[in-house]
Amino acid sequence: MKKVIFLLALGIGLLPLFSNAQATDIISAKDLFGDLTARHIGPALMSGRINDLEVHPTNSRIIYAGTAGGGVWKSNDAGTTFNPIFDDYCQSIGAVAIDPSNPDKIIYVGTGETWTRNSVSVGDGLYKSVDGGVNWEKIGFENSERIANILINPKNANEIYVGVLGALWSDSEDRGVYKSTDAGITWEKILYENEKTGCADLIMDPENPEILYASMWEFRRTAWSFESGGEHSALYKSTDAGKTWNKIHNGFPKGNLGRLGIAVAASNPSILYTVIEAEEDARKGLYRSDDAGNNWTQLNNDFGITVRPFYFSRIVVDPKNPDVVVKGGLDGSISRDGGKTFVSLGSMHSDIHDIAFDINDSDRMFVGTDGGIYRSWNGGTTMEIVENLPLSQFYQVSVDDAEPYNIYGGLQDNGSWYGPSSSTGGINARDWNSIGGGDGFRVLKHPTKNIIYSEMQGAENVWRYDVDNKLVKTIQPLPKKGHAKLRFNWNAPMAISKHQPDRFYMGSQFVHKSEDMGESWTIISPDLTTNDISKQEQENSGGLSMDNSGAENHTTIFTITESPLDENIIWVGTDDGNVQLTKDGGKNWENTLIGIDGLPANTWVYHIEASVHDKATAYAVFEGHTTGDMKPYAYKTTDFGKTWKNIITKEVVGFARNIQEDYINPDLLFLGTEFGLYITLDGGNSWTKFTNNMPSVAVHFIELHAKTNDLIMGTHGRGIIIIDDISPLREITKVVLAKKVHFFNTKPTVMVDQSGFSGNFGNETQFVGNNPTRAAQIKYLLPKRHTFGKMALEIQDIEGNKITTLSPGKSKGINIVDWSYSIKQPKVAKGKTFSFGGFTSPRVTAGKYKAVLTKGKDTFEQIFEVIYDENANLTSKDREIKHNTTMKLYNMSENLAYMVYELDAILESNKLKNKKLISSLNDLKKSLVITTGDNYVGSAEPQLREKLADLFSKLANSYDRPSSNELGNLAILEERFEKANKDFDKLKKKVKLPDLNLKSFDDFINE
Amino acid sequence: MKTFKLLFIAFTICFTSQINAQTADEIIDTYFENTGGVENWQKIEGIKMSAKVNQGGMEIPIEITQLKNGNQMTVINFQGKVIKQGVFNGESLWSTNFMTQKAEKSSQEATDNMKLAINDFPDPFLNYKDNGYTVELLGNETIDGTETFKIKLVKKPVTIDGKQEENVSYYFFDTENFVPIAVHSEIKSGQFKGQMSESKFSDYQEVGDIYFPFSLTQGLKDQPGQGITMDKIELNPTVDAKEFEFPEEQPETSQENKN
Repeated sequence: MKKVIFLLALGIGLLPLFSNAQATDIISAKDLFGDLTARHIGPALMSGRINDLEVHPTNSRIIYAGTAGGGVWKSNDAGTTFNPIFDDYCQSIGAVAIDPSNPDKIIYVGTGETWTRNSVSVGDGLYKSVDGGVNWEKIGFENSERIANILINPKNANEIYVGVLGALWSDSEDRGVYKSTDAGITWEKILYENEKTGCADLIMDPENPEILYASMWEFRRTAWSFESGGEHSALYKSTDAGKTWNKIHNGFPKGNLGRLGIAVAASNPSILYTVIEAEEDARKGLYRSDDAGNNWTQLNNDFGITVRPFYFSRIVVDPKNPDVVVKGGLDGSISRDGGKTFVSLGSMHSDIHDIAFDINDSDRMFVGTDGGIYRSWNGGTTMEIVENLPLSQFYQVSVDDAEPYNIYGGLQDNGSWYGPSSSTGGINARDWNSIGGGDGFRVLKHPTKNIIYSEMQGAENVWRYDVDNKLVKTIQPLPKKGHAKLRFNWNAPMAISKHQPDRFYMGSQFVHKSEDMGESWTIISPDLTTNDISKQEQENSGGLSMDNSGAENHTTIFTITESPLDENIIWVGTDDGNVQLTKDGGKNWENTLIGIDGLPANTWVYHIEASVHDKATAYAVFEGHTTGDMKPYAYKTTDFGKTWKNIITKEVVGFARNIQEDYINPDLLFLGTEFGLYITLDGGNSWTKFTNNMPSVAVHFIELHAKTNDLIMGTHGRGIIIIDDISPLREITKVVLAKKVHFFNTKPTVMVDQSGFSGNFGNETQFVGNNPTRAAQIKYLLPKRHTFGKMALEIQDIEGNKITTLSPGKSKGINIVDWSYSIKQPKVAKGKTFSFGGFTSPRVTAGKYKAVLTKGKDTFEQIFEVIYDENANLTSKDREIKHNTTMKLYNMSENLAYMVYELDAILESNKLKNKKLISSLNDLKKSLVITTGDNYVGSAEPQLREKLADLFSKLANSYDRPSSNELGNLAILEERFEKANKDFDKLKKKVKLPDLNLKSFDDFINE
Repeated sequence: MKTFKLLFIAFTICFTSQINAQTADEIIDTYFENTGGVENWQKIEGIKMSAKVNQGGMEIPIEITQLKNGNQMTVINFQGKVIKQGVFNGESLWSTNFMTQKAEKSSQEATDNMKLAINDFPDPFLNYKDNGYTVELLGNETIDGTETFKIKLVKKPVTIDGKQEENVSYYFFDTENFVPIAVHSEIKSGQFKGQMSESKFSDYQEVGDIYFPFSLTQGLKDQPGQGITMDKIELNPTVDAKEFEFPEEQPETSQENKN
């Protein structure tokens, strides 16, 4: 029997190998990313959309934020700072709930944001943590798409209710109110209307958990319209823990209803508030019941209460005062008279989605907006922003070729920005520059001039900003005589040319081309869309509340790409499924997308990437989520679109929006999906999700920087995320994978001389993005993690002399080890205090060095190069003088250290009887090193050791060659050092002690 | 012989693990078995580790001593000056102040939390049940491209800023050799409070009868860590107990004169 099991196990073990052997084209990147790690640079200054806030019921220090696209964040310090706790999972959050019976441990997260604007992401179920948010398990609702509420019975933690709003873009039966009586193992649907109607809000009576209120909402979005309301929208009450439900509409407006919010006063559960979207404007607004929902009275239909119900329906009652009511809205409104009148909340980012009161003091409030979380200490009058939430929601990113390069992009409701990929002291909020208002989308830097193009929604404004002269001009294409009305997408496409720097493209239903940076425009295409007029009735969009923001504009061009190899080749993708190609600069256009197997008709063309390797090659990414189709689609053509090959495999999760081709290795591709980044090393035969510090966030746009090989991602919820230098991925082949160690090629590293001042004001509570390393990097691939036995990494000069040792990486896959191109600090003489100058490690000279990796008995070597920074403008002679002078001081410090060691040994031997001699030796020592005081304000007068080390450090840390000032100082020190040497030699002769058994100089230095 | 045994175990487990689910206790038992045996682990009275840390080119020698009675210290030798950090004698926890080079006591809270960990020597998993700790196998996770068992270790609750908090760490045991290659735990105080710390272990080598990691990396999870390379690990070192005592400062003026 045992044998059978063994064979079975063997069989299982061998099978995958066998199938791999058949698929010879597969080079899987699984487990190979190693030290390749994502770097988050924010920005956090405008933060991003918040969906739900939740406070701990007994510990006022703990607050959870469920964000629209950036996951779940937890504060342990009463909202001063937050940390992400849900990075491995879907980042679009509908609701966060804390089990009141076990609030330190049990947390539920319902994914899928519930304020259903056009750009919302999707969720993938309900998650539970039993350890305060460290580990998570998905416990169902895979197809729920968006979860509005989670309620846990405070008297019975096994009893849980979930309000599922459900699919926004399609029919679905996964909606309504669900109940579990076994803490989430099994679920029963206890309230359901139909495939269009979901649960928009669900609350529990705070005193009687048998009493529930549920608002049901009939709603639907398409890519071109929105419909809120219908005969199935209703407010229900159950008094038997969800067994039966009754409509509670006594006093409600007549006709169909839309989205309703519901709240109960914790201090008096008879008092309820609901906000109603109704047919008649006069009857919309806030209603109150003082008899637990039996009767309702309309109180207020101000703009702040009725505005955009699909986006703002949250009502929150002060837990201590039933007459203090806060309503989400454009500005947020607060009433202190039981809902009769309202004032706006204090000045903050607009679009308020949720409000939470502190459990102890209602003057303290937390407010979730389209621009992050705000705190108030005075009941909502003054608001201050939480500064460490990098939740920015980019639609697109682009880069320039500055050093360090800048990143440009537009954000949901937060304008357009650019900021550096590296900055002194880290990338701070103050490093970011505003470059456009409204909702920002695409931002492009002119290829040669200091000019930036940006836009707002629907190309209402396209700005051309002359950065040097601070001159702004709007340049969007305007309607011309004889042309149809222009239809621009909400996120209207722009493009620049690799061939003509002043060329600028925009897309409506036509391709507009300008050769003079937007001064004049020519239409170079017919209507390239399907021009389906049934998808062009946006003025009727919104349902019960008209909502014609332009967000639903459809049958438009969405992406334009001019081939980097031929300026006459232009690819255009439309939101209604056309991939159009011209090969003659716009004279003739051909719709290449006729009948791709497996791609539904009219699927949105989100991105086209024209290959840098071959004119006829392009990649097209399609996404159909606005029809409820959540599958990823990416295709490659190598024949100008005559045929398209599917390059998606089963590993890819989430619909895809963007693809990036590597500039060197055509088989290396990067794919951005709604749930993260995927990488293929084999042209799309296999994909691997990249998870090293990379959240499962929606990646809307990817750029690859040509000079640095950095991969830059515009995420819709976690800002800009960079993977520095992806070049090792280019080298991974089957041959490389079979080697014991493979060193990756690295470009010569510049030993950067540039520095500056940063100040750290505010860094305690602000997000600061990490800089890329400036170190020289030794990169290698291990086929297996090194866990047992010795492994060491030494840097040697080209002759094999040891320079320093480093801690080698041991991971399977790519290892990256930093070397600061310096030798170890000099050994300095022992004194009473530290010589701070002696903590400096001087740099090596430019040239070639060897990385020597020892692993068990094997040794592996790689030669690499470090070069000088040309920005310092030093000649090779300058460099030589600088190095020699620095090393002279380094050696003097070490010689002095040995002198003091000898001197101490004589004094400490206690064999010396001559008091005068002892006194002379002590006097000499006092002139060599500090012998009193401390390391701070009690420090003593510096002596030779300190002066040598300080000058050494001054020179080693300077970019420049030594000045006459410094050399003059050196001359004094040399003189003093020489004198000290002579004095010591004289004294030593007088000492005449037997052998003190001293270490040799070399042993002393290297001990 | 030992290598052979290790290989054999690894081999057997490789095949059987696909059929039999491991329990946390089996993993921990195998870990001790593979690294020298529980008996030998229990014989350890003290460990002294000599290591080097390389920080931006600056090489810092450190020496970490831990004894069975809970006494421990980290000694840094800088320019011939000795700086002690995290010194604990079972009662007080103290460190040398960098500026004055004088000893200063840590907060009472930190000291009390340290007392809770006295029995962690030489490994918190050894006799963990006797110490009132619990373990739980949470499943498999990939660390450094390597399949691991993720084991949750819950020790006695600590007090943080006046509030009691659960003391949890997550150990990742290589599924091939059954040695821990990483530990994660939430940082409870200071600038990085709320973030996850990560330590990684490698270069397991034999010292006496026991395998110890000679290389570790410490830092924040998902960020490059600081490498520490052991030059030498000494078992049962001779250490003067006075080394752990808080050096009381002699008052320069007598108490009587203070009014």
